Amino acid sequence: MHSDAVLWIVVATAIVFDFTNGFHDTANAIATSVSTRALSPRFAVAMAAGLNFVGAFLSLAVAATIAKGIVDAASITLLTVFAGLVGAIAWNLVTWYFGLPSSSSHALIGGMVGATLVSEGSSAVLWTGLVDKVAIPALVAPVLAMLAAGLAILVSYRIVGRQSPGVVTRGFRLGQLASSALFSLSHGTNDAQKTMGIIFLALVANGNMSASEDIPTWVIVSSASAIALGTYFGGWRIIRTMGSKIIKMDPAQGFAAQSAGAAVILSASHVGFPLSTTHVMSGAIMGAGAAKRLSAVRWGVAGNIVVAWILTLPCSAAVGAITYGLVRIFGGGSTGPVVVAILLVIALAAFVIRRATPVPAESPS
Amino acid sequence: MLGEIFEVVWVSLLAGIGITTAYSFAVLGMGRSSEARRAGHGVAAVGYGLFTLLFLIVFALGVLIALKIMLTKA
Repeated sequence: MHSDAVLWIVVATAIVFDFTNGFHDTANAIATSVSTRALSPRFAVAMAAGLNFVGAFLSLAVAATIAKGIVDAASITLLTVFAGLVGAIAWNLVTWYFGLPSSSSHALIGGMVGATLVSEGSSAVLWTGLVDKVAIPALVAPVLAMLAAGLAILVSYRIVGRQSPGVVTRGFRLGQLASSALFSLSHGTNDAQKTMGIIFLALVANGNMSASEDIPTWVIVSSASAIALGTYFGGWRIIRTMGSKIIKMDPAQGFAAQSAGAAVILSASHVGFPLSTTHVMSGAIMGAGAAKRLSAVRWGVAGNIVVAWILTLPCSAAVGAITYGLVRIFGGGSTGPVVVAILLVIALAAFVIRRATPVPAESPS
Repeated sequence: MLGEIFEVVWVSLLAGIGITTAYSFAVLGMGRSSEARRAGHGVAAVGYGLFTLLFLIVFALGVLIALKIMLTKA
């Protein structure tokens, strides 16, 4: 047990990352339901938060190491984890500010890669792992989701096309309640695990626990609570982008996008192929819109989202690298992380103050 | 890797289109059932009601399979 101060800073940073992950990804589960008025915004975030919390307890199949297969496990230290987390948090906040849905997992991987490049050099980065786990899934996920949602909505329109719009709208709004709930639960089982894995890894690396021990209850409860709280706060800018800026969707399109998206994510989960929930949902929404009419998709907004996806890895890597460099200026002790943590707290305070600025009731920030 | 991608592609397409189709048929049944009820065709209303129920069961099975995948992932 050689550096408890650094350990607790890493734990706190991981919890903050978990919060931003929930905050950032609320849109994946509820944007389509809120925009089609299947669910009220308040009910949607409350339901998503509750199910994210429950989901975190349902599956404890934690990947023992973060960025597994992407950076050399032996090179991971508390400081690289800390720098990686800061890179991911920074990118999550920047993309939230611009209302752009981007992958929190890719941001975390980018942060870790940047920190590892500075600490150990390029030999410690497993480049083929980066291609297999980030680049190829990033290409496959949106295209596949687009195709699945596009075909699904075409079949659906064919089936219900001659029905009265009232019945169709009511029917699919009801279906969206189920698909949103499923998505939120799935998010909790997936993303809260990342934070549990990070904290567990930090505890093992610091000598507080052995790798064979079970994850402590406080780690599970704090990870579940942070992601649920982040989800409840809701990243409304991203919800607006996904819910109404890419396409103006009807309940059938919302349902098709969510169902096709869930099918893609769960089938990928089943074979252990890592897909980003954000990439899948954004692709599914574009597919549901484009199948109706190509011009129904605002391709400018879609283009901005794709640019954000491309920039996620290099930008979070850059922040991870800079953070690691900054921390090392103060040596290997706890001073560096404390200084960076204080800067992070100041940035978060600015973020909270911005959120507290009054906005119209129908469009929370 | 290629095998995994291929499996994800066909399972995703099958499940995504299948679940939406099943629910669309349920919505169709709901609409037809209420139309038949309004027109005083009791037997047809019950028939469409059963049709709706059948596809809601298919949809529910899809949700259960999804939950099972979520809970058993490695």
